[in-house]
Amino acid sequence: MNRLLQMAHELWLATLMGSFMAKDGENKRLLNEFSDIFYRHHNWIENDLFSKNIEYDYNRDNIPIKVDKLSVLLRNIIDRINQIELALCVCDDKELKARIEHDFEYIKYTLQNMPDEDINAFNMQRKYKNIELSQEATDALTLFLFEESYKEYELIMIYNYLKVHSSDCFINRIFDIMIQESFFHLRSFGEMMAEMGILGVPRVIHKSLYQVEDVVKFLKDGIEEEIGAKEQCKELSDAVAKDSVELAKFFDFINYQESYHIDLMKQALEYYTKKVADE
Amino acid sequence: MQFDNEIIEHMANPNNYGSIEEADAIGIGENPQNGEKVIIYLKVSGDNTNPIIEDIKFQAIACMTTVVAGSIITGEAKGIDFDMGEQLISVTLGMLDNVPPEEAACSEMVALALKGAMDNYRLKQEGKESAGVVYKIENSCTISEEELAKIQKEHK
Repeated sequence: MNRLLQMAHELWLATLMGSFMAKDGENKRLLNEFSDIFYRHHNWIENDLFSKNIEYDYNRDNIPIKVDKLSVLLRNIIDRINQIELALCVCDDKELKARIEHDFEYIKYTLQNMPDEDINAFNMQRKYKNIELSQEATDALTLFLFEESYKEYELIMIYNYLKVHSSDCFINRIFDIMIQESFFHLRSFGEMMAEMGILGVPRVIHKSLYQVEDVVKFLKDGIEEEIGAKEQCKELSDAVAKDSVELAKFFDFINYQESYHIDLMKQALEYYTKKVADE
Repeated sequence: MQFDNEIIEHMANPNNYGSIEEADAIGIGENPQNGEKVIIYLKVSGDNTNPIIEDIKFQAIACMTTVVAGSIITGEAKGIDFDMGEQLISVTLGMLDNVPPEEAACSEMVALALKGAMDNYRLKQEGKESAGVVYKIENSCTISEEELAKIQKEHK
């Protein structure tokens, strides 16, 4: 079952990357929606494993996504779906299995009929739209996008893991919001990376990061990191301001969103600090 | 760090990223100041006097500069024997005087993780129980019972 979870994880990420690299509006929309569905499949399987007290992790294989035609990736996604369909035989929850299979049936049909398009997400041009950035600003933006896209993916997985292991409505509401916020940031950064020709799949997360032993420490460190991220956004905004008002405004916007994350994390910290004190 | 296409390729698709199930040796390079670490897994073959690094993987709980260093150094280490591995470590550490301190720390962590993995393999060959060897930047340490148990648990 753990391998099934890994396969679902890989399918979700491959499709998410496909949605970043697609330029055609309808292709992008569909791939985005399908990646959301695959993320939910991953979570259903994870919940099933957790409810049965089966050990699992977020380990996975590397996911090759470098293509010059979308159709090549779509074929790869369909192959992955076919393999999961075979692997679903280990799933003894018949309803869960049927739900996933029904989703697959429609998604495969749609993917097979999706119009092809050229992919420029790996051409390493490092140009965002028609904005002329200095070499220094381009390098700063490149590093930021690689660092932060990984960070957002890492946060999605950490909060996801914590959510599965908690049945408290208050804290799960916070985790849900944090996951959605990180999805939005990951999508924004991923699409910028694709536009700049430097798209890459976030690297595998080490289990010590999500199997959090001390949530209070994790949240305290996380708040510090978010403060650091705010500072980075501010620096980046300043660095690109003279070349692009659009980019500067975007990074200011991300900066202000981090304030909301800090507030949510403080609420979670208060909750866990009280919980630890009560125990 | 200045970026060319080669560096960006390492960032987007780092070589040898991941872990090896049933690795022959594990080494960890750690920065005690910020908790960042690099874990290197080895699959080893050949005779015990000068074994060969058959396969190598790494994981980084660290910044992108460390990932790039890990990608480059493990790429160099794959397929070489331990003598060459020692030379690779020594050359890497020797080059660090000429790079900014924050970048030096990243490469040092990777080089020390490789050293830790090779030492872990040697300890095992001597019949000593060792789940992994940890080296910290600027000061080395042997692995504690607690850390050893943790690594064993993580590696299961």
